[in-house]
Amino acid sequence: MPALEPVEGWRVVATPSALDGARWNGDDVDVLRIAPDEALALGATGVEIDDPDAIVEPEAGFSVAMLDVDDWHGVVDHIDWPLPEEPTVLAQGKVAGVPARIVLGEPTLLVVQAAYANELRSRLGW
Amino acid sequence: MTDAPAEVAGRIVVDGRPIEFADGDSVAVAIVRTGEVPGHGGCLCLAGDCGNCLAEVDGVAYVRTCQVAARPGTVVVRHPAGGKPQLPVVDWRDLTLMPVGSKIAVRRTEADVAVIGGGSSGQSAVEAARSAGRDVLLLDARDGSEVVGIYPGPSIVARDPGGMLHVRADEIVVATGSVEIQPACPGSDLGGIVTAGAAERLEAAGVDLGRVVHVGRELLRFEGDAGRVSAVVTVGMDATETTTPCETAVVDLGRAPRDVLARMSRAEGVSAVGPAAEDQPLPAPPRDGVVCPCMGTTVDDLEAAWDQGYTDLELLKRASWAGLGPCQGGACLPHVRSWIAARTSGPPPAPFTARPAARQITLAEAAADVAIDAFRRTPLHDEHLTLGARMDRFGGWWRPWHYGDAVAEYWAVREGVSVGDVSTLGKLVVSGPDVVEALERIYPCHVADIKPGRSRYALLLNERGHVMDDGMILRDAETRFTLTFTSGGAANAEMWLRDWIQTWGLRVHVMDRTMSLAAINVTGPLVKTLLARLGLEDAPRFLGHIRAEIAGVPCHVMRLSFTGETAFELHHPLDGSVALWRALMDAGRDLGVRPHGLQALFGLRLEKGHVIVGMDTELDTTPRRLGMDWAVRMEKPAFIGRASLERTAKLDDSRRWVGFSMDGEAPTEGSPIRSVENGEIIGNVTGSWTSPLLRKALMLGWQRRTPFADRVEIDGREAVVTPTPFYDPEGHRARA
Repeated sequence: MPALEPVEGWRVVATPSALDGARWNGDDVDVLRIAPDEALALGATGVEIDDPDAIVEPEAGFSVAMLDVDDWHGVVDHIDWPLPEEPTVLAQGKVAGVPARIVLGEPTLLVVQAAYANELRSRLGW
Repeated sequence: MTDAPAEVAGRIVVDGRPIEFADGDSVAVAIVRTGEVPGHGGCLCLAGDCGNCLAEVDGVAYVRTCQVAARPGTVVVRHPAGGKPQLPVVDWRDLTLMPVGSKIAVRRTEADVAVIGGGSSGQSAVEAARSAGRDVLLLDARDGSEVVGIYPGPSIVARDPGGMLHVRADEIVVATGSVEIQPACPGSDLGGIVTAGAAERLEAAGVDLGRVVHVGRELLRFEGDAGRVSAVVTVGMDATETTTPCETAVVDLGRAPRDVLARMSRAEGVSAVGPAAEDQPLPAPPRDGVVCPCMGTTVDDLEAAWDQGYTDLELLKRASWAGLGPCQGGACLPHVRSWIAARTSGPPPAPFTARPAARQITLAEAAADVAIDAFRRTPLHDEHLTLGARMDRFGGWWRPWHYGDAVAEYWAVREGVSVGDVSTLGKLVVSGPDVVEALERIYPCHVADIKPGRSRYALLLNERGHVMDDGMILRDAETRFTLTFTSGGAANAEMWLRDWIQTWGLRVHVMDRTMSLAAINVTGPLVKTLLARLGLEDAPRFLGHIRAEIAGVPCHVMRLSFTGETAFELHHPLDGSVALWRALMDAGRDLGVRPHGLQALFGLRLEKGHVIVGMDTELDTTPRRLGMDWAVRMEKPAFIGRASLERTAKLDDSRRWVGFSMDGEAPTEGSPIRSVENGEIIGNVTGSWTSPLLRKALMLGWQRRTPFADRVEIDGREAVVTPTPFYDPEGHRARA
């Protein structure tokens, strides 16, 4: 079964242009642009951003699963909305009725808020 | 009429009695073979079209027994005559631990064209689509694929031997053929009446039907004895009536489209072909008796609804209930259309819409792999279970209702110290050069004068001045605030803020921290002692807030009170929550610390008269109705809802949310509040609690009649209107 584990990072709300130019600290950072003015940087240890009013907060409220092809096939059955065809594009929608974010790739990232993690595990039979 | 099978294949149990069946019998045929009927009368079609053979089969209610093969040991319980089968009673203490039933598999598939029905018209549709190079899926009930419903998309939900099948198709073709028209006349609800097709099936199965009378459109009525048909009365061209005794009446009134599925969706991409789409001659308009056997709707019911003005077929359906039952008009629709045509001397109206399910399915089948609202868990969920909490769903979260003794939890708050999980509260951070302007426009209270490090309670109103939510405004810095909201209202409040900020074009950033931060409410007269042990030496004063480490966990410490005692909310990152909770429990052991659940919290807040938006309020509740005008500053030039409040302030208002008290135990929440003068209902109780401290029943509730009463009757007892807060009205304890 894939592991759906808590992950740490940084979350930033700022002007879109400031987010475009943000410099993320840390190795192996995955930046999810969850809205034009909001980014979730998984694995980041800090950020430099040019917006004095930006809201910059450490984030421990998400869980992530890294899915190989077989795992992903098991998840797709629980998605009833069209997925983007290009890899690395962030998709946001419900997986088995649970709000989630997906980045297609190798591996595919399945991101869910920790409050939903148990429910998602249960619904996916993990 | 009683006819044991020549070769017994086994026995089923019907209402506790074993009966024998022959190889190939459906449950319905096996029952008819004994001379009885599977339901409680009505014409049997034995083709799955009507609802006259519904019964409970192996614990599943509303099963069409004509569609279920009899197998040894099958247990059939007939539904109560004129009633509904009893629902099973479930009493799980903790729904999170409820065992999961057998999993029903769901397969999803896609096709260019899905054809429902494998008869000649269905096969033609399949061949046409295939020859056009399209990918075709054929669903045929005879192969075990029973279509339950057609939905927008278009999509199909079907049941087959493998479980449930969900199909997405570009095009759906309904080729379900036609049905035999059922009789609708006096006596048509008797047993012993079958359609011609059913008679053929019974005869083929070797069932002795006794003395049979075949009847067609000359049918006038059936006569019966002990619930079974005993004679058929027909009328001739010369209006003379003829009575023919019988043991079984075989009815042939023509055919109608089997269009239940086609009537479920008028969406693009769904079409009917063949007999399912053909307009057939309607039967003669019914003059008396039952029209809709599923719902028991009579011609008199149609007349009554029509006379009330429900003359559109869809409205007549809703008003008379004809067509609302399991067969969704399969039996009654031709008769109702014919009746309307006769009534209006016009053409029959187009058929009414049908609703799923075309085949009755269990809740488990309906819910299989279908996502329902996901309820969230706080990071302390397992801690609560370890402490014996009974968990319940509240505001979109699993929350502890109590830990076994709500009264002890109450006393811990009032006399010692207690912890409560309030991680579910809505939490937004807002920041930007226009943030004060935005909040001044959104909230009805002043915002600009809140100093950094201070906070204020606030209502959230809509444009009509109705209360949407409430919470705290905490100023973190000149251009940055933290806002809190109720657990159930947080998502709506966030959208509300974002919409208005965008509408006004203000420069404000919004970050939702509801699920990123946990929060523990630590409350009680000994709370400062406990928090000092864990590092909080300089606690903020009432309505102040600071950042501090408590037990090594970085916290946003908010001094406020919902319980009426000194209280601090410790908002902190999720990954520190369990450590903080355990540190509080350990450090407070000698202080008698214990957790409190929602039940105690609701009692504590009730003693303080605090409103819970959504529980105490209604969609049109204004601050005035709540007695909370103090939370609205009408001297502000503008805020959402101000214009409505100013206008309605000049009008009388017949609603007030007030406190009540009386001796004895608290009544059930929701209890009616009655006038002591005449017993009329003048309101209802929204919150109710037997106060362990004040030793009386305290209630909050609505009065909806003026002049407002000083004394009322609740639960058969006299209660008096009592000013709130009931407890510590000066608020000394919260500020201590």
